[in-house]
Amino acid sequence: MAETICRALRDGSLAGEHAPALTIKDSIPSPFGFDAFTHFLCSLSSNICAGKSQSQGIVLIAFTKSPSFYFNLLKSRGIDASSSSKWLRILDCYSDPLGWKDGVSVSSSTGTLCKNVRDLDGLFSSVLQLGKEMVGPSKARFSVAIDSVTVMLRHAALSCVSGLISNLRSHDYVSCVFWLIHSDLHEARTIAVLEYMSSMVASLEPMTVAAKELRSDSESIFSLKQYSRKGKFHLRLKRRNGRVKVLSEEFHVEQAGIKFSVNSLTNDIVSQSLLPKVQFNLQLSEKERSDRENVVLPFEHQEMGKTTEIYDGRRSLSNYATDLSTTSASISEKQHSDANIVGKGEIHYLRDSDDEEMPDSDEDPDDDLDI
Amino acid sequence: MAATRSRTSSFSRNQSTSPLSQIPGIKPGPNGVTYVSSGIPDLDKILGGGFPLGSLVMIMEDAEAPHHLLLLRNFMSQGLVHNQPLLYVSPSKDPRAFLGTLPSPVLSKDEKSRGSIDQEQEKGLRIAWQYKKYFGENQQNSDRNATEYCNEFDLRKPLERHILNAQRIECFSIQESPSLSAFRDRCSSFVTQTSRKDGGTISPGRIAIQSFCAPQCCYSEMEWDMLSFIMSLKSMVRSSNAVAVITFPPSLLSSSFSKRWQHMADTLLAVRAIPDEDKELAKLLTGYQDMVGFLHVHKVAQINTQVPVILEATTFSIKLQRRRSLVLERLNQAPVDGSSGSSHDVSGSCSGGSKSSILDF
Amino acid sequence: MQVFITSPISLERHLHRASVFARRVILIEDQVETSGAFVLHHLIKRSLSIESSEIVIFVALSKPFSHYDRILRKLGCNLVAQRENGKFIFIDMLKLECPDGDEGNGVGGGLIDLYRKIQKFVEVNASTSPELNRCITVMMDDLSLLEVAAKGSSTYVLDFLHYCHTLTSENGCSLVVLNHSDIYSSKTGSTLILQMEYLADVVVQAEPLVTGLATDVHGQLTVLNKGAIDEHGGVRSKLHNFHFKVKENSVEYFYPGSRA
Repeated sequence: MAETICRALRDGSLAGEHAPALTIKDSIPSPFGFDAFTHFLCSLSSNICAGKSQSQGIVLIAFTKSPSFYFNLLKSRGIDASSSSKWLRILDCYSDPLGWKDGVSVSSSTGTLCKNVRDLDGLFSSVLQLGKEMVGPSKARFSVAIDSVTVMLRHAALSCVSGLISNLRSHDYVSCVFWLIHSDLHEARTIAVLEYMSSMVASLEPMTVAAKELRSDSESIFSLKQYSRKGKFHLRLKRRNGRVKVLSEEFHVEQAGIKFSVNSLTNDIVSQSLLPKVQFNLQLSEKERSDRENVVLPFEHQEMGKTTEIYDGRRSLSNYATDLSTTSASISEKQHSDANIVGKGEIHYLRDSDDEEMPDSDEDPDDDLDI
Repeated sequence: MAATRSRTSSFSRNQSTSPLSQIPGIKPGPNGVTYVSSGIPDLDKILGGGFPLGSLVMIMEDAEAPHHLLLLRNFMSQGLVHNQPLLYVSPSKDPRAFLGTLPSPVLSKDEKSRGSIDQEQEKGLRIAWQYKKYFGENQQNSDRNATEYCNEFDLRKPLERHILNAQRIECFSIQESPSLSAFRDRCSSFVTQTSRKDGGTISPGRIAIQSFCAPQCCYSEMEWDMLSFIMSLKSMVRSSNAVAVITFPPSLLSSSFSKRWQHMADTLLAVRAIPDEDKELAKLLTGYQDMVGFLHVHKVAQINTQVPVILEATTFSIKLQRRRSLVLERLNQAPVDGSSGSSHDVSGSCSGGSKSSILDF
Repeated sequence: MQVFITSPISLERHLHRASVFARRVILIEDQVETSGAFVLHHLIKRSLSIESSEIVIFVALSKPFSHYDRILRKLGCNLVAQRENGKFIFIDMLKLECPDGDEGNGVGGGLIDLYRKIQKFVEVNASTSPELNRCITVMMDDLSLLEVAAKGSSTYVLDFLHYCHTLTSENGCSLVVLNHSDIYSSKTGSTLILQMEYLADVVVQAEPLVTGLATDVHGQLTVLNKGAIDEHGGVRSKLHNFHFKVKENSVEYFYPGSRA
């Protein structure tokens, strides 16, 4: 299933459509989103190297790791880093994002330094510039990866960030866009916005979701008794034909990277989450319907020849009780005697408690208090 | 920075502590700490000597009871008796009026009557006596100069006017103050004056700030500014010969800010009201009739040491003995089932128990 | 629970792996009831031990030098001497306050200066003795006070932390930060501690025992090492849990239940 994502990223976008976009989200109980991010980055890189993909290069906007980290990572995953200048450009938003560093020493030999990440328009144009430089004047496309939208959102408003993503997706030269976000660091709305903007949403969750524990506990990094490097990987794929494909896998994070494995319980979860959840039956059978129609509701008898009385809640209890005996309140007693009356609907009910001496009454319970 | 704090050799402790011990109102403690008295003999014992100089003491108020004022008054009076400068800060318009309510020390001159009081105390209060054994040795040592270091105060008798007039007392109203920076400057000038040594003697200063986040102050909404003020006050006091006591109602702060305030404190105390005429509680606690409230010790100052102070008990009852002097006693709880105890949020270890239990307060 | 194991265990062992690989970020979390400062003291002592050539840059926001000096002396480490020979750099930030105002850098200004100060020390040390390739550990004794100094702007604090983090990747520094977890337990609070947990390689949490404080056990310590390498070279996240008792000259660690 992770393979599905790799393929989608590899195949890129169709002419005239928005580029596919992937949101990877995680949370502190299973904080392996970055491992998933690098997995897809490496997979796309090897596809590009092999010339199998639509895009001919990647522009990586690096917020949380230095460019050299990424070069070392690619090397360690067996991807030819020597040729990387042809297909990889790193926009270094890590080393000095706000221009705090004093003077000279800041030189990013491996990436293009961005010294004001708050200016997303500038960021957008540098991404395009880097991409065009890389793929040359041809009509070839490139991919864009953002290693943390979380950090980006710290520096810029949500509307600006979504504007940037939207511009990237709709740009002619962009083949695909993918990014990582830590879901518990943002409001639900922020996550919803980013999911709305993407065509694929991959989320990493712990194996066992802690049952509703103490509020603070469930969010803690220590919440799981066994801090595990395994977890569940869910994917929601918005297909072009309007359908949503929901997939689920297990993952395991090892030194060599994240590994995905299909598990058996996949489809249960899927169908459960897709079907509308109804806790009662909305349909009635024929018999149920006819029974329902035969039920004499309280006060309904008043339309049937008897004098119309409106209960005002003040009548003496004795009157009331005799009145009721013909209607609903004592039906459970009547049940025995009237059992031969077939087809007449009845309401069976049980009183909540037996400590009240009288049958249910609307009498003010505080009547007997002398106040 | 005081001479006591900037030593370079590890063998210089005695030189610096010996002159200190000659000054009334100052007591050397472990780790180069110097104590001043809280004005309540029992509290000094609980805290291992009193409030360390250079520390920030915070008292969490009970919104329904004025017990924090009891602690504050004794703290202030004790300083005045010891001839120590005082900065009193209050949210009221006329802070000086509060000085009229300060208690007067039980005179140490008539040792006879004092002795008889002591005897009566011991007769009447078995628990207090029992409690003393835990502090046996300290008690013996400190008793000798107890009249100098820590007085008992008669809450019904106001402090004599000549004491009030003789002292350097500064009062400051935070309600009148337009900004925290004016308040900060006031504290800073007070602290720099006290850290100046007059002829070699150190006269520790006391800063008493009442209800710091009181709603009538214009900055009571500026939570970060208040924290920033506390942080700077703490660093001011730390490098001087002063102690600052701040009382605050935690219920007026959000829970996260309340925690931040608590982290700021070196010594953290809380006072709580006691429900009136509560028969169940009366059954549960011996001496319920005399109690006016509870004192909870959350944190004892850990200055120059990494070892936390673990008290045998952390909840104490506040009693007004003979309606005049303030006594703190360990809660002596009758052995009953836990459910009734916890329903009042009051639990305590049995008097004979050697281990303390958790006390939610 | 490993009730019957009574042999002394050491925090050393669990933290040691972290120090072997520099460029680590260690987060220490504590609470009002249980201070985690002793872990910080332990790390200072270890970094300054004779066999280590590490340099410690200590950003003090909560306690003055004299406090640490006394504590470390009892642990057998002379901070004054270490400061003189340049192994211990103490940056007193007790009075740190970021200037108000809308001009220029505003609140962040104070933190920028602090960062530049740290950066300068790191660069000076890197340039004077490049052949030694000394590890530099940057420590902060109370991150929540940095937030106070920045008037509650956790964004600035995070920016500052980010810059400190760049030191780990560019100069091989380690970062040790203490913060209080109970401040952030309410839902409405800032996410600073969560951000730190994402950033940290090792998280050490000190908390009181559920049964209250006792003279024998001062609290419990949970150490989460996100990237521990096991004997076979594989990565494992390790979660260790033990009780501790802090003493003047050492800290005792033991398995839950093996004491008292």
